[in-house]
Amino acid sequence: MNHKRKALSKKIFFYLMISVLSFFILLPFFWMVSTSLKESKALTSIPIQWIPENVTTEAYVTLFNVFPFARSIFNSVFIAFAGTFISVLSAAMAAFVFAKIEFRGREILFGFFLATMMIPGNLVMIPNYLILRSLNLIDTYTGVLLPGFFNAFGTFLLRQNMKSLSDSYIEAAFMDGASRLRIFFRIVLPLVKPALTTVTVLIFMGNWNAYLWPLIVLTSKEKMTLTVGLSLLNGQHGTDYNMLMAGAIISIIPMIIVYGLAQKHIEGGLSVGGLK
Amino acid sequence: MFKKVLLLSVVVLFVLSIGFAKPVTIQFMTFSASGDSVKYFEEMKEVFETKNPDIKVDVQSVGFEDYFTKLMTVIAGKNAPDTFELNYENFYTYAKKGILLDLEQQIESSGFEKSNINEMALKAFKLEGEQYGLPFSFSNVVLFYNKDLFDKAGVAYPTKDWDWEDEQNAAEKISALGPMTFGIFQPIQFWEFYKIVKQNGGNLFNEDRTEFTLDTKENIETLQFMVDRVLESNVMPNDAQLAGMGDWDLFLSGRLGMLVTGTWAFPTFISDCDFDWDIAVEPGNTQKATHFFSNGLVVSKNTEHPEEAFKWIEFLSASREVAKIRIDSGWELPAVTYEDILSDYVSQTPPENRKAVFDSLDYLVTPPVINQFAEMADIVTRYLEKAKYGELSPKEALTEAQRELSKKIELE
Repeated sequence: MNHKRKALSKKIFFYLMISVLSFFILLPFFWMVSTSLKESKALTSIPIQWIPENVTTEAYVTLFNVFPFARSIFNSVFIAFAGTFISVLSAAMAAFVFAKIEFRGREILFGFFLATMMIPGNLVMIPNYLILRSLNLIDTYTGVLLPGFFNAFGTFLLRQNMKSLSDSYIEAAFMDGASRLRIFFRIVLPLVKPALTTVTVLIFMGNWNAYLWPLIVLTSKEKMTLTVGLSLLNGQHGTDYNMLMAGAIISIIPMIIVYGLAQKHIEGGLSVGGLK
Repeated sequence: MFKKVLLLSVVVLFVLSIGFAKPVTIQFMTFSASGDSVKYFEEMKEVFETKNPDIKVDVQSVGFEDYFTKLMTVIAGKNAPDTFELNYENFYTYAKKGILLDLEQQIESSGFEKSNINEMALKAFKLEGEQYGLPFSFSNVVLFYNKDLFDKAGVAYPTKDWDWEDEQNAAEKISALGPMTFGIFQPIQFWEFYKIVKQNGGNLFNEDRTEFTLDTKENIETLQFMVDRVLESNVMPNDAQLAGMGDWDLFLSGRLGMLVTGTWAFPTFISDCDFDWDIAVEPGNTQKATHFFSNGLVVSKNTEHPEEAFKWIEFLSASREVAKIRIDSGWELPAVTYEDILSDYVSQTPPENRKAVFDSLDYLVTPPVINQFAEMADIVTRYLEKAKYGELSPKEALTEAQRELSKKIELE
């Protein structure tokens, strides 16, 4: 009895802590929603209007008029998904080679590949731009995606993971006559699913939030991504915060969906591992 | 025979249509089309393209914050837009670097009417005697005041003859209305400082800009005046009293008597103020001095279509159509001299005394642009802050700023 009560109070304490924490985490989101529904006059009013006196969807409506907002949502989704798919695939394939296929100079090559992580992105911006220009890829989706196709960090993470896989799996499959490609897709990838999910989420987030590069490469309005479009709300003398917040809310929805889906996979993936 | 002629004429027509009728596309990069302003740009573009069917304009709009990052990269990537917008401070740097097209020849050949543009604004976009840009818009800084608070405190409204003393007296009376009510707000930072020292006969450099003159008597007096308003008379709120509020918000909340800020506050104040307000030319001490900011339009040196490019920026800068769109929409002012259009602007209320915007032009001071402009602004602001928080006396702050500037900044 006493024991039970102790467990109960522990549980209550736990949920109390969680509630307090989530309150603070959710507060900014609430503020975002509330700001996006205010008239510009109420934005900075004191006392603070936590719940706007006059609820208006004006900010959302203007947002769709200022730039092709729906189109930019599509652009962002397309760029994020296409970019993530290709980057993850190339990272996983490269990782497989670096982890499981022996050839001369492999470690040195991998060292060089990792070294590219040390070069800050801003440094290669202008060279990249020049290359894309000579390839006639300015203001194209390919131009936005191309420099990001090869992801050293993702490759590194996946390689470390694949290295820990026992060679016996691969040998066994090899004996059964499986090709390398088949081994890669059927044996290796499922075994590193948790790491793969992590890398996918990271790369997706990176692509979704990418700002500076799309800003520089894309010039026509129809190709703008959400992040670039939203930055248009920054004026020389001020910012339309209610519109910015409205845009931000719309722009985080896909992130929440992807995260929700991926979370399931991470949990599921953990129990799949072949090493018990 | 007939067939041959027909064929030939078809071919000729085809060649002609490719060779002549193909419209030239001019790229234009701008930071002014932010938020709602986009629609005015669409309007301007439409008018221009109807008037010039052989020219198409590709407007590339970028948010102000990252505009110059993108512009720099694109120029370094040898893909500069044909025409673009520059604020005054950046204009100088870009013109010096030889990125911009000298417009003198285009001005000659196109019969551009200089008198349609405000003389001072046009002159601002000259470098070493050559015209490198045309003014797109201008704005200046005036004294905004809350009429209701003036009435309550029983003080007469500011006039254009006011000096610092009148301003201070009024500020003190308004401050006395309540502990959370303040007389005036005028930020203590570089941008305010280079102008306000001129109101007291001071300056950041000597005449020919070969030496800094920060620690002169006039400048020290000026800073003392600014700082005293916070630390001594407290007619201007300190950071704690502001509690993170911006100066505009304080004014909007009705607890601020006077605010020195830009005319770009008009749209916000017109829609959000629930009290009576007006403007006046900023008071000076020994003389008057007012801010002048302008965004300019320039042509890239590497453009393949200098004539068409000039046509477009001339249209944006000096045409009646654009001026009208700007004024009707309450956007920043065009730097034109068309009397009838400007009188439309002056007759709009509030503020009643809109004329003060033009009166202020008589005393304009342009930003003191030098090569190491940003660095200079950082250094000066740092010492101004030390004085503002009372860590250094104004005299000490300016003496040290002078020392650091002379050491780190090279003047030509």
